Amino acid sequence: MRRHEVLVVGAGLAGQRAALAAVEARRDVAILSKLHPLRSHSGAAQGGINAAVGKEDSVDTHIYDTVKGSDYLGDQDAIEFFCREAGPTVVEMEHYGTIFSRAEDGSLARRPFGGQGFPRTIYAADRTGLALLQALWERLGTEHFTLYQEWDLTNIVVREGRVQGIVAFDRRTGQFEGIAAKSVVVATGPAGRIYGRTTNAHTCTGDGIAAAYDAGALLKDLEFVQFHPTALLESGILITEGARGEGGILKNVLGERFMGKYAPHVLDLASRDVVSRAIVTEVREGRGFPGDFVHLELMHLGKERIETRLQEICDFCRNFAGVDPVVDPIPIFPAQHYMMGGVGTNIRGETNIAGLYAAGEAACVSIHGANRLGGNSLLETLVFGKQAGLAAAAYAASASAPELHDSDIADAEAPVRRMMSRTDGEDPQAIRTAMQQTMDRYVGIYRTESDLLEGLRQIRAIQKRFERVRVVDRSNVYNLNLTDALETGHMLELAEVIVVGAFARTESRGAHSRVDFPSRDDAHWMRHTLARKTPEGPNLSYAPVGYTRWEPKERVY
Amino acid sequence: MPEEMVTAQIDVFRHDPAGGGAPRYQRFTLELPPHTPVLTALLRIRAEQDPSLTLRYSCRSAICGSCAMQINSKSRLACQTPIGPEIAEHGRIVIEPMRNQGGVRDLVVDQTSFWEAYDRMRPHLITDPLRPMPEGRETSMTPAQVEQFRETPRCIACAACYSACPAVEADAAFPGPMALAKLYRFVVDPRDQARQDRLVRIQTEGLWLCLRCHLCTEACPKDVRPSERIRDLKEMAIAAQGGTERGSRHAIGFKQNIRERGQLNEMKLVLQTDGILGSVGQAGQGFKIWRKKPEISKKPRRIEGIEEIEQIYEALDPKPKGDR
Repeated sequence: MRRHEVLVVGAGLAGQRAALAAVEARRDVAILSKLHPLRSHSGAAQGGINAAVGKEDSVDTHIYDTVKGSDYLGDQDAIEFFCREAGPTVVEMEHYGTIFSRAEDGSLARRPFGGQGFPRTIYAADRTGLALLQALWERLGTEHFTLYQEWDLTNIVVREGRVQGIVAFDRRTGQFEGIAAKSVVVATGPAGRIYGRTTNAHTCTGDGIAAAYDAGALLKDLEFVQFHPTALLESGILITEGARGEGGILKNVLGERFMGKYAPHVLDLASRDVVSRAIVTEVREGRGFPGDFVHLELMHLGKERIETRLQEICDFCRNFAGVDPVVDPIPIFPAQHYMMGGVGTNIRGETNIAGLYAAGEAACVSIHGANRLGGNSLLETLVFGKQAGLAAAAYAASASAPELHDSDIADAEAPVRRMMSRTDGEDPQAIRTAMQQTMDRYVGIYRTESDLLEGLRQIRAIQKRFERVRVVDRSNVYNLNLTDALETGHMLELAEVIVVGAFARTESRGAHSRVDFPSRDDAHWMRHTLARKTPEGPNLSYAPVGYTRWEPKERVY
Repeated sequence: MPEEMVTAQIDVFRHDPAGGGAPRYQRFTLELPPHTPVLTALLRIRAEQDPSLTLRYSCRSAICGSCAMQINSKSRLACQTPIGPEIAEHGRIVIEPMRNQGGVRDLVVDQTSFWEAYDRMRPHLITDPLRPMPEGRETSMTPAQVEQFRETPRCIACAACYSACPAVEADAAFPGPMALAKLYRFVVDPRDQARQDRLVRIQTEGLWLCLRCHLCTEACPKDVRPSERIRDLKEMAIAAQGGTERGSRHAIGFKQNIRERGQLNEMKLVLQTDGILGSVGQAGQGFKIWRKKPEISKKPRRIEGIEEIEQIYEALDPKPKGDR
């Protein structure tokens, strides 16, 4: 049996930062990931990372903007900690070798981002995630740890009230193996592929969140799903908020700069939920282009600025949409982008299970509350990745040896063998597509009771279909058909939690917009949703929001 | 307006070593709009025709570097290559795994040697404890200094360059274009304290094995231009250490020959590259060439128009004052 003190699942920014913290705390660390770490989806983050380091800016303003952006569902104590860590975190990443864009005086360049009072988003052209991911991997590469590369997580084993390890399989051999660990950090990113229209990578399937949920972890605020206002029409590829930060504007079919109606002060740079709803409203009221989209215009910025500051965006538009942003408007529509919810943790990354930690988009601290600000997610991966790594290392230093049994592996493998031995049944991809269509149709930007009920009915019917999923590929080498099935199973569990949480929350707050309950209801709903798995489905309970000094106000941009 | 569809014949390399059976090409036929990326076409095949088709993919937006493969014999990212132009040019689309890396299954290759070469470059900042980073704030770096990285920070490690590189195929000691572009990124980093050591080491660790064919630059989906950075590394290595290696001595001799006479003096160049003793081993080869082409033994004349060449050299690389 393989054995480590700290096992990090997921090798994006949060996972790598957790691993680095645990290695520096002199623990025996392993990272397990279904991708090579440099292929993690953190690398796709474009816009930047927030830190109030400018002379005119202040940490308090960053805290306030984040609290307001969260629509008062973010925990203010956690947000204060988070924003104070921002400056040191960015400097640390610079010292690790990140190649940031610079101002003429040699300091870190900053750009304005939506929903924020000052230009505080530090960036590396429009590939900030890639720049950070490269630098952190380079830094981590100087340390000693074990890498399980292209392994799929199936189960987190919890017994006697604590984590004992995980079960996973190595794609190269198809072998199911147990890895005993005193502490496990879940850093597997989001489950954006629950939706069909998403900016997320194909691999963002919430494996760690679902495994934690199966193991008894509480999932927090999963109904809060951010839709990014500007995704390329067909592919859903993200066009960074930095494009509007640089001066890009949105126009409807009448040529109107419509954001003036929805956010008269900050226009196109309003918070993401506000801009996404504005676009959907324009299209619903008949002011979209045929095919239901609006335009993002950059042309007025000039060729040089577009090609230097938004180089990747230029390539995306030219390669994936056949438009040249120097001369053409870009056809865009909102797409699922970010999960504010996740495995519930405190600021140390601790969950309700001893030895189980979570960080990054897979976790919910909660910093982002009901809506995340651009530039805060990269920061979250690093700040709370480090905290989770430190806590996991501290726990491992005192915990007794974990016990993983052969039966744990057999239990994890049995359902997979059934999938692979069925002679009839449905392909996992057909099931996945059905789930995505349901979520796009019934659990999107605008929600109603009747839509959510129908969505729930359909998701439960699709879960039934999944009980008969069939893996036709019988190979033990790199069996993606099996990976498809496991991922689809994970997402179906989480889809149900999203719908149930959204149905129960009879208010509109941040990204959760109920047409039948259009206003925010602080008296009843300024609280976090917690979902626990039961045989009957998610069991919901609620927890108070951490509050320090910012009175809830109406959120106007 | 609905886009016209094209009929795509896609011939995909299939092989599962575990399942036995010989490697083969399997033909799939799909109706798709011409701007459809090859990756989308392959995923359609997985969803609708054969879920056992095996490939690496993730972001579908040319940033994760997972889906490099041979598309009609060129190393490309599947997500960034539309099917229309491929069909227009070749009539069909042949999909094969990347080259220079062993096969795992279908289009998935074993990238161990690629990552090992990357690791050999010591791809991390090497700092001097006596010259620490500024306490509590960022290192100062001007936009002009950032410019020095050229396009190397865009590298997504997709290995398309590694797949396209004939020097990798010829000699396992060659680290490959990506690794050398990564090395360049650290050599020009003002925060790195090992520039000299990196340049000296790489002279004996494969730098001069590059064949200057520029296929890497052609293959790179992010326009990193590895071959140009390799050229820069060669110049910097000579500047740092002089001509200590065959490759660098050859480069120096070549440049000197052309400057002096406008053409190569092959005998002299061999001596410059390999020294007198080293050249002895090449005498047999030299004799063979001499029999076919006896003029190589003569000292070449200064060519007509040598003045123009001198002007070019003077403009690009002025001689020190005393030499004029």
